This record gives sequence, C-alpha cells and structure tokens, in this order.
Amino acid sequence: MYSDLLNALPEVLGLSNFLAVIIGVIAGIVVGAMPGLSATMAISVLVPFTFGLEPLVALGLMAGIYNGAMYGGAIPAVLLRIPGTPAAVATTFDGYPMAQKGEGGYALQVAVVSSAVGGIASAFALMLLAPPLSKVTLLFGPSEVFWVAVFGLASIIFLLGGNPIKGLISACFGVFVSVIGSDPIFGTDRYTSGQLELLDGISIVILLVGLYALPPVIDLLETPLKTDGVNSSKLGTEPIWKTLPRMGRFWKTWLRSSFIGIWIGILPGAGGSMAAFMSYNEARRASRTPETWGEGEPEGVAASETANNADTASALIPALTLGIPGTAVAAVAAVMLGGLLVHGLQPGPMLFRENPDVVFGFMWQFLFGAILLILLGGSLATNSFARLLNLPRPLLGSVIIVLMLIGVYSIHGRMFDVYLMLGFGAIGWVMDKLKFPLPPVVLGLILGGFAEENLRLALRIGRGDWTVLFANTTSLVLVALTVAVVVGPMVKRRLAKRDLRTKET
Amino acid sequence: MSNFMHKAVLTGAAIMLAGAAWAEYPEKPIEVIVGYSAGGGTDVMARTAAPFIEKYLGDGASVVVKNMPGASGQIGITEAAHADADGYTLGTFNLPGMMARTIDREAEYDTESFTYLANVVNDPNVIVTRKGSGLDSIDKLIEEATANPGAVTVGMSSLGGDDHFMLIKLQELTGAEFTIVPFKGSAPARTALMGGHVAMGILNISEVAEFQEELNLLGVATEERSEFAPDLPTFKEQGVDLVNGSMRGFVAPAGLPEEVEAKLVEAFAQLEADPEFIEAMNATANPVEVVTGAEFKALTQELHDLAQGVWETSPWN
Amino acid sequence: MSDHRPSRLVRPETLTALGIIFLALAFLVPTTGLRPISALLPAAMLAGLILLSAILLIRDQRRASAGSKTAPLTQAPRRVIGAFALIAGYAVATDLAGFYPATAIAIPLVAWLFGYRSPAGLALATTIVVGSAWAIFDLGMSQDFPAGRLWQ
Repeated sequence: MYSDLLNALPEVLGLSNFLAVIIGVIAGIVVGAMPGLSATMAISVLVPFTFGLEPLVALGLMAGIYNGAMYGGAIPAVLLRIPGTPAAVATTFDGYPMAQKGEGGYALQVAVVSSAVGGIASAFALMLLAPPLSKVTLLFGPSEVFWVAVFGLASIIFLLGGNPIKGLISACFGVFVSVIGSDPIFGTDRYTSGQLELLDGISIVILLVGLYALPPVIDLLETPLKTDGVNSSKLGTEPIWKTLPRMGRFWKTWLRSSFIGIWIGILPGAGGSMAAFMSYNEARRASRTPETWGEGEPEGVAASETANNADTASALIPALTLGIPGTAVAAVAAVMLGGLLVHGLQPGPMLFRENPDVVFGFMWQFLFGAILLILLGGSLATNSFARLLNLPRPLLGSVIIVLMLIGVYSIHGRMFDVYLMLGFGAIGWVMDKLKFPLPPVVLGLILGGFAEENLRLALRIGRGDWTVLFANTTSLVLVALTVAVVVGPMVKRRLAKRDLRTKET
Repeated sequence: MSNFMHKAVLTGAAIMLAGAAWAEYPEKPIEVIVGYSAGGGTDVMARTAAPFIEKYLGDGASVVVKNMPGASGQIGITEAAHADADGYTLGTFNLPGMMARTIDREAEYDTESFTYLANVVNDPNVIVTRKGSGLDSIDKLIEEATANPGAVTVGMSSLGGDDHFMLIKLQELTGAEFTIVPFKGSAPARTALMGGHVAMGILNISEVAEFQEELNLLGVATEERSEFAPDLPTFKEQGVDLVNGSMRGFVAPAGLPEEVEAKLVEAFAQLEADPEFIEAMNATANPVEVVTGAEFKALTQELHDLAQGVWETSPWN
Repeated sequence: MSDHRPSRLVRPETLTALGIIFLALAFLVPTTGLRPISALLPAAMLAGLILLSAILLIRDQRRASAGSKTAPLTQAPRRVIGAFALIAGYAVATDLAGFYPATAIAIPLVAWLFGYRSPAGLALATTIVVGSAWAIFDLGMSQDFPAGRLWQ
C-alpha cells in the first residue's frame, strides 16, 4: 500500500494538478475570509463545475479549498469577531482580543502556522493510517455516537461565560433549533409549519452567518460616521520568520490539538467545530495561566486552529473507506464525497485498490495544501486582507451584507434561507447586546439533533431497553470521560477552596 | 358567442404553439430539475445522462441540470410538476420515494401531474448480514426472525423508501418479524452493520458492490441476476419471490405537446443500447434499466398502489 | 412613582425573558401533537427555556427593585432599525427585482446613508463587488442568482 502512495506522487506534482491545489488554497482562504461565505458553500458551488475536469484537478481544487477555508475562517474571526466558518468560532475567543490589543497580525500568523501544523498531521494520518483508523470508526454504533455527542454537549459548560443562566438559555435555543425539520426516525414534520425548506433541518451555515455576521454589520453601521477600519499599522505585522521562534512554546498544544482533531475527525458526525472547542478547553485546562485565556492568549488561537485543520483530512478517513462523511451538519466532507462520486470514485475498501493513483494523489494534495498554507496564507493574510478591512466602515458593512446574501443563497439556491438568516440575525443582535454567549447555540445546533437521532436509533436496536446504552466498553469509557470532564473541574475547585481555607486557619 | 370565439382563438394559438414547438424543439436549452444536491446519486445520473440525451435529441440540443435540493427531493419534483408543459423543464423522478411522499405527507402533485418520459436506473435491493454472524443464507435469516420475532435488527435508510418496502414485502411473504432501525441514508446503515451494531441490512446493490468482501450478500431482489454482482443469486432462485428496487428516471409536467413528448421519449429510449452510456452509468453506481412512456407510468401507478396498500394496513409515521 | 412602573417592565432583559417565555409556550402547542418520543427533546428544551427565562426575569426584576438602571440596547435606535430595514429591504429587492439590480443599488445606498459619501469610492466598490460576483459565480461557476420574480 505504501508503494502505491509513492507511485501516486509524480502525477500529483504535474503542472495542472499542482496548480489546482495552489488555486484551491488561495480560493479557500479568500472564501473563508469573506464573512458570509463558507467552505461548504464554495465546494457545493464547485462540484457541478468539476464534471468537466480531470479527477486530480477537481480533487486538488477541493482539497485546497478545504484546507484554505479552514484557515481563512480565522481571518475575520480575529479581525472582526465574525467566524468565517463554523469551526472558527473558538478562534474568536482569543483571536479577537488579540486584535484589539494590536496583536492581530501575530494572531493571524499563529493561526496560519497552527492550521498548517494541524493539516499536515491530519494528512499524514490519512495517508498512513486510513485503513486501521477506519476500524476504529466501526466501533462506534448509535449508542457510542450518542455518548460522543453527549460528551460534546457537556463541554458547553465551559462556554457559558459569565452568566450561566444566559449560557444555558443559549444552549437550549441551539438544541431546539436542531430539532426543527423532519423527525429523525419517522420523518414526520416538527415545527416546520408545512415549509418544505425546513424539512432537512436548519443548516449551520445559515445560523452562523445570521448570529455572528449580522450583529457586527449593524455595529459597523451604528457607530456614527467613524470611517476608520482596522488599521494595518495597529495589526503589528512582522515578517513571519521573525515571529516563528516565538511560537515554539506551542509545541505541546500543537501535538495535543492535532491528536484531538484527528480523533474527532474519524468519529462519525462530530466535525471541526467540536474539535476546535474541545481542544481549546483542553489547552486551557493544561495551561499554567488559565486566567489569561479569553483575554488574548495566542495559545488559544493555536489550539483552535490546529484542531479545526487536523479534522479536515482525517474526516475523509470514514468518508473514503466507509462512505460516511465525518459530519452530517457542517457538510463539507459530505459535499466532497459527492465530488468523488462525480468522477466514478465510489467510497469503500475497493477504492484504494481500484483507483490508487487518484485516491493517494488526493491524499498528497491534502498534504501539499496544508504546507502551502504557510506560504500563501502567511503572505496573503497579513497583507491583503488586513488592508481590505481598512475600508471605511459603512462601505465594509454594505459589502459584507452582499457577501452574506451570496453565501447563504448559494448553499441551496433559494431565498428562503436568506430570510431565515435575517431572522437569526435579529435574534443574534439582541443576544449580542444582552451578552448571551453564542458558542452554546452553535454547539447545541450541531450536537442536539445528532444526539437525539443516535439515542433513538440505539433504543430501537435495544428494542426499548435503556441498558443498551451502557452495553459495551466503548460506551462506558465515553460515559466515564464525560463525567470526568463535568465533575473533575468542580472537584478541583472544591479542593482548591478547601486548601485555601486550611491555609487561612 | 364571444366565449366560443375566445376558445377558438385560444385553441388555435395552442395548436400553433405546439406546431412551432414541434418544428423547432428544442430551440433553447432544456432544464432538468434535480431534487438533490450536486454530487448525489440522482444528480450524477442526470449529469451523466445529459450529454447522451443531447446527442439523441440532435440539432445542437442542450440540457442543463439545475439542483433544487431539499425535503428528500420533494421541493424539486414539486417545481417540475408545476413548470410550463413546453418540454423545456424536465425533472428527475425517484421511485418509490416520490409516490410515497404523496401518501405520507402533503404533496402538491400526484401520479397525474406528470408526463412520464423514461425510468433510466433500477438499483435492486439486496439483503446483507455481517461476516461471521452465522446468518449466512436467506433461509437461516427467515428462520431466526420467525423463531424470535423482532430479535433481528435491520439497518436501512429512512422509512417510506425502497428499503422499507422491501422489508414489508419480505415480512408479508414469510411472516417473519424484524425490528427496523432507520438510519439517515444507506452509508451509516452499512457502517453500523459492518460494526456489528445491527444484525442485517437492506441496501441497494450499487451500495454494496464495493463491500462484497466485508459483508455476506444473501441475494438480490431482481428477476435476473445483476451485472453488478453476477455470482449473487436472486431471491427467486432461492424460493422467495422478492423483487424490489430503487428507481430513478425523468418526467415532465403533465400535458406536454404530443410531438415534444414523442421526441423526448424516443431520445431516452435510445440510451439503453448505448454501451458508452451504460459504462458511464455503471462507473457511477447506477445500474441501467430503461422503461419509457406508458410502461413507466404503469410502473409508477403500481408502486403508488403498493405504497397506498402498505400505508393503510401499517402506516410508518 | 407613576413613571417607575412602566420602566420596570421595559427593561431589555425583562422584555427578552418575557419574549422567550411567550415564544416557548407558543411552540409547546404543536409539541402536543407529536408522538411522545418525538416530543421528548423539544419539550425538554422548551421547558428549559421557560424555566431559565423565568429565573432571568426574577433576577432582573430584583435588580430593578434594588434600583439599578440598565443601559439601553443601543445608543442610536434609529440607526439600528434603519440598518435592519435596509438589509431586509435588500433581501426582498433581490427576491423581487433580481440580484444584480438590487445589489448595484444597495451597496452605494447603504454606504451613502451611513456616512460614506465619496462618489468615486462608491462607484468603484459597487463595480468591484457586482463585477466579481458576476465573474466568479455567474461566468465561472454558472451559478444562478435570483433573476427577480417581477420579471418572470
């Protein structure tokens, strides 16, 4: 198998195939960086277009876009607090405070290097370990996947912000939005009021654009007559080779977050946003100075960006070997599977034997895409984009409005989604003003319906017997992990308090 | 009088229009509405077929695919049903799904809403079990499900689809009882089966062709063996009269001018004899079986009646 | 004292909490028509929303009776409402009149109304955005934008 890997290399290095990756990465960064446009939208627009292309050119474009967009999403997350992709939500936590402190340039450099690190690690996992890792995926049936979702939902408690009541309201809202659509088992309508457009559920991109992009646009327009944008001199741009040595101290976070990202990627259904949230939480927990997190800690940006790129290639492991895209909600891998089918590449164990050139070529393209990120992203991000954001505020606001409409409309080609996005925008504006945290909404939407679906599948398999949820080791390990994550910090805090008290007395 | 005149003028205009359409059809691009996202099975069928339809329509005809995804294809097919019946808007049509939707939910179309052009793909159902599960023949499976009603869990894609009707047929034929576990799509069902989380699966042959070494294939629900797995016996050969599958084809709105309909049906009819087309379709997991015009309509009606019958005895939602 | 009472009810958090409770109750109505297993998660979430909002409401009212004042949601309500109306108007215009005409008008209009008045800059920005949207999506990817229901 590894000889197939090497045999596929010369083809990938051919001019048009390599050019496709470069163009893809640039396009991905641009798409990710535009508030309102997302990787899902870019690839779904691209798929019909790839019918006329050579397989490796088409796949190279997609691999490039996927990698590029995962980093590109960090740019508006840092500069405007608008995550360009769902997976960049965790990047806003520390990226935006850094930009406000005048370290935006450094934040972007940390983001691009971390993205590349995560992407490279993930590409290697895909190239070297795809078949064994796909065996791991098989361990996860509905009851195990249910526990994965619960584990993810439990991490919401770290995202509640200063006011837990408001945080929980956000989470309930997110989970409630996730049940709108057809019932996962019976297919009957839930809260659709007969709208066919709602039957498939509400796309995360629509919610994200509405909640995160509209309020800042209103803010841009609200502040009277201030025409300065984000000043590029304030960005603190230094050449990337000068800042690289300062990033050496992130190596532990890079390692941990890559591992988390790859792991989440191979699990059915979870996806990049959960990977980013989890690795952010874990990195903060491991940090010696957890109190600086959320105030502009570069390591937070590193954790989030490493994990969301480490999820990209590894999400293709179950996609290529089993035909199941890593995530049902943020449908990038699902759309990519479509792109493969277009070229007659049907997922499954035979794929690797029947079309080794294309499959392994595709994997190489992922690796090159991740490496190219540093070269292309490093120069593009800090210079061109920072300057774009220098536009006068009213103009920037009106351009973002147009991008939001394009981005949301193009996913399914319908205006209904645009109106829905505006509705979420109004809700988002109120939430923003009243300081309801937004991340629990995102996580609730991604994991709520997903948890329900798998719980009900598990109960059907157990024919109504709830003990089926605890019937095997994988489930029990996940339950134990969830309990540890939730109870652990409480116990720790209690112990710390007691320590304090004993010292005082 | 004026009413009569009005009618006469209208009829005249209609005839002229029809005549004009026939004389020059197709004089502009033909749009095919696909009710699924680009890259899905139905979309790939439409895009693969498009250049061949162009070829057989001749005269520089052009076919453009338009995706209108949502609600398991219902948004797209509703749009196609209500489009102008001039032959410039066609739609892809999935059976039995599109008919089941007229029964299990409100639909703004029925069997009479379409001019039936051609069914192009017939992807037969297969029954699979996990390797090493012991249930390695259809007889053993039926025996187990009869002895322990409900003990056999069946992974399949959603209720009210071809997989589900296949299971209902099996239950009616044998009296065995199964527990349905409806996943969102076939791939998760197949994965759960490979992981041993469900005991058997009902899938389509194109979905297991790549997994023949990982799964026990018990049989295929066709009259004759499928090209996708020539060694796999049919259920009929094994004494169980099961024939069922997922079908994909093309329809136009009802009331298409006859000449236009004839021209389109003729073009579709030539697909089956085109080896290049068959090869392109097989590469994208679409087993070809062309049924045109009146036969296609009868097939649709038959499936509608079957679904209606099932719904009346055991509604699935 | 007479003007104190209404001001207690129009506090933003109180209004929001009341709004959430009202909407959640409204959504509970269709929930009763679902099968128990289908209704379980949504009903739990709605109940959660009602309970949490009630706590929010009580806390905010306590703070109000303690005499604390809340900041208004915005310093410039007219600008905010105007911005929302313009964005919604742009979406409706796209739907009715088509993407290109609506966008060509919306960009300069919004920017001009909110304080950016350089004609050259407006023309340039509009041309670049509309032009690249057309070149990338329409020409490059043969994507259709809404053509406008009015002309169909």
